[in-house]
Amino acid sequence: MLRGARAASARAVGEDPALAVHRRQLAEIDDLAVRGLLPEGEVRTARAEAGRRLLAAADAPVAALDPGSGRRVVLAVAVLAPLLALGLYFTIGAPGRPDLPYKARLDEWRKTPESLDPPRIAAVMRAIVAQRPGDPEGFENLAAAELASGDPMAASAALRRAIALAPGRAELWAALGETFMVEGDGRIGPDARAAFGEALGLDPRSLSARYFLARADIADGKVEQGLAGWRALVASLPADAPARAALSSEIDAVARAGGLPPAEAAPAQPDEAAIRGMVEGLAARLATQPDDPQGWVQLVRAWSVLGETGKRDAALAEARARYKNNPDVLRALNEAAR
Amino acid sequence: MTAELGAFALVLALALSLAQAVLGFAGVRRPALAGAGEGAAAAAFIGVAGAFAAVVTAFVTSDFSLANVAAHSHTAKPLLYKVSAAWGSHEGSMLFWCMILTGYGAAVAVFGRGLPARLKSRVLGVQGLLGVLFLAYTVFASNPLARLAEVPVEGRSLNPLLQDPALAFHPPMLYLGYVGFSVVFSFAVAALIEGRVDAAWARWVRPWTLAAWSMLTLGITLGAFWAYYELGWGGWWGWDPVENASFMPWLVGTALLHSAIVTEKRGALSGWTVFLALAAFTFSMLGAFLVRSGVLTSVHAFAVDPSRGVLLLSILGLSSGAAFSLFAWRAPALSPGGVFAPASRESLIVINNILLTAATATVLLGTLYPLITEAFGTTTSVGAPYFNLTFVPLLCLALLVLPLGPLTAWKRGDIAGAADRLKIAAGLAVLGGVAAFGIVSPRKALASAGLALGFWLIAGSLAEVVERVRAFRAPWPEVRRRLTGLPRGAWGMTLAHAGMGVMVLGACFETSWKVEAAEALPVGGQLRLGAYELTLKDVGTIDGTNYLAERGQVTVTRGGRTVCAMTPERRFYPAGRQNTSEVALCNRGLDQVYVVLGERRAGPAGEPAWLVRGYFNPWVQLIFLGPVLMALGGLLSLSDRRLRFAVGKTA
Repeated sequence: MLRGARAASARAVGEDPALAVHRRQLAEIDDLAVRGLLPEGEVRTARAEAGRRLLAAADAPVAALDPGSGRRVVLAVAVLAPLLALGLYFTIGAPGRPDLPYKARLDEWRKTPESLDPPRIAAVMRAIVAQRPGDPEGFENLAAAELASGDPMAASAALRRAIALAPGRAELWAALGETFMVEGDGRIGPDARAAFGEALGLDPRSLSARYFLARADIADGKVEQGLAGWRALVASLPADAPARAALSSEIDAVARAGGLPPAEAAPAQPDEAAIRGMVEGLAARLATQPDDPQGWVQLVRAWSVLGETGKRDAALAEARARYKNNPDVLRALNEAAR
Repeated sequence: MTAELGAFALVLALALSLAQAVLGFAGVRRPALAGAGEGAAAAAFIGVAGAFAAVVTAFVTSDFSLANVAAHSHTAKPLLYKVSAAWGSHEGSMLFWCMILTGYGAAVAVFGRGLPARLKSRVLGVQGLLGVLFLAYTVFASNPLARLAEVPVEGRSLNPLLQDPALAFHPPMLYLGYVGFSVVFSFAVAALIEGRVDAAWARWVRPWTLAAWSMLTLGITLGAFWAYYELGWGGWWGWDPVENASFMPWLVGTALLHSAIVTEKRGALSGWTVFLALAAFTFSMLGAFLVRSGVLTSVHAFAVDPSRGVLLLSILGLSSGAAFSLFAWRAPALSPGGVFAPASRESLIVINNILLTAATATVLLGTLYPLITEAFGTTTSVGAPYFNLTFVPLLCLALLVLPLGPLTAWKRGDIAGAADRLKIAAGLAVLGGVAAFGIVSPRKALASAGLALGFWLIAGSLAEVVERVRAFRAPWPEVRRRLTGLPRGAWGMTLAHAGMGVMVLGACFETSWKVEAAEALPVGGQLRLGAYELTLKDVGTIDGTNYLAERGQVTVTRGGRTVCAMTPERRFYPAGRQNTSEVALCNRGLDQVYVVLGERRAGPAGEPAWLVRGYFNPWVQLIFLGPVLMALGGLLSLSDRRLRFAVGKTA
């Protein structure tokens, strides 16, 4: 601004540029005339007119200018403008508030996984699977986190990626079927049916697939067929499995009512019996394939949610012993047991 | 701290615009102040550019502590759309508007060395006032750098329809056009204050008008192209209120471009030219108000807030009200300029201006009519039939007269002589129309006449060049000397006029002879589309960067011969839970086969089927090629060395 003021003072004394424009127009008319691009008659009238304009402009009064003064005004404005800006900024801005780029937040979250809510866990898991795109476990955990944060669509997408990486695992298909159910507000639609069917094809003992396929039959009106499926499921459960009693009473209720009770016809979540079934399945899997920290954490959390303190403590003790050298897992286990 | 630095840069720019306005008006008599005003104009631009850079940074790094970023971005979005989201939202686009507004101000300050000091100082003063109004609005009512107390984990993402390359570049072009008229507006107000509107003033205004008009032309074309292939409805112009909002400044700008030439060459029509200069930016502001206020429902309106609309309307009323009051006060004192006979190029340009203004009025009425009736409790919608009956005939009349203009002399012309020199062009046009009537089936008389009009414009524009260089009459060296001697401005005019003809050809042909077919097809199903057959070979799913899609494999055959393999998609964007269709286009010369994959449904035998819609759009490429030629014509004129004097090109 100050430089502009000085430069302008320096060149203030000069002639009116309008004169130059008019002179230039005259020259252009001549130029076109020489090149023969303007007819003879037009050249004469155009010249005459442009000439008149030039004379009129030259006669215009020139206002008196004062090239020197105003320095103090400029200085005052140069000081006042930033001050005004500063004042405005303090009323509308958030002085000193740092930027929060996503990457930095993500790094922060990854340092404290146990204190995160499901959407943040999902965000961390997304970053992890982006780094390890070939790891089906990562996608499986991501799916669980997405489902917990209320985004079944993202969960099913993650499960599909997991299935593409590990096509032989029945529990992934079963989880996909359950995700489809959540997406469909509890209804077991064709997508969910197909997924449970795949699970059953891979593992005929899959608890959740058998449970939900039979349930779908009942919902479709094929009550007898569905009940038969459930009865077979009960028979295959160990005698002391808590899910057994829950399912038995559900079978009785359906048999009495001749169909699913209306309120429960569309449960938003799989009911407790089903959850128990899944948790038992998880416990069984960990008994044979124990090297799965995430699985242990899930199991401990599940027992704790179901109020099975005894089973929770047993699982916790076994997992603690197994991962006594891994503080991250220990922290997650303690968190899950709460 | 980037975001906070940006927020400070933005308010600093506001303060500097205020300084620019004060210094600009005070500097009329004191050059030191005027010079400081120029510095303030450049600094204001740097400030807004800094704020804009901060917003882009926040979008690129997904800083969801900014409300604007949280509402319009998402970590999974491709980088291009993270950047383009910076101007894809209301707040961001207001900042962008301010950046261009101050940018034009800075361009006047830096490149306007040849302007008379007093005029320049006043222009910068007025531009500074506009800057104050829009920056204050942005800072206090639409601040893109406002922070959120609760920072969300993920952003809500940009409307997937806007995640498109054409639309990433459509707003910048459009705004360069809209806001470019602000300079013309400032020049007009400055001239009214000064009481001097003459040939020199018209020449200083012309480059800015040309630049703004060319950018607006490109912007509207990109928008039409986007509407054509992204919305998947097969059309390219729907007389949608938002489209009209961009079209009205263009019509007024076109009228201004022509009347300013009369003022420049003859010193005449000065009052009218000033009026149009004020009107062009007024319509730009009206467009901004219509799009952002929520008074209109439209496919491309912004998420809206009535209180913001009231503020924008106040800005419009304040600036245009003041300018037009000044005009009413000062216009009678303007010198009338050169006289001209009824048969002259001036008269023909006056006819062009009357028709263009009338056409603008019909568009304005059609756009505002639903609002007026809604105020009285009835809802109406004004669509294509209205515009076909009002706008189209006016425009046809204007285009019919168009080729006569460049062939008629200034001051006292010979229209019969001009018509005589257009005999061959007229003959060619009639021949083209008759040929179309005879060859193209089904036979359509009106559409054939429309084609004849297109040929008339192209042949008429070329006839003017032929005439000027005396082709076929003078020996070749003479013709060549004349060809190379033609100023770029003349070539620009020819290109723009011929481009209009190209556009008319495309618009008439496409609208009248497009073929449309739709059917739910199972895999292997076939759909007949005019001379083509579409076969749905397969449908697969794909995982996009931030969407899932069903992608169809559609083969286009003609008489059993495969001409195209197309892959239309139906995309689902989980972040916003929205479906969009990704149209597949197959170029066949000037024509296009256009295929949209619709939703999945059960076929006749219960098997899965997809709704496939196909369009055969003949000559559709001309619709987009024509305006591009027009804009190129404008830019070619802008590069004419005669304009480079006094005012440089825009930044």
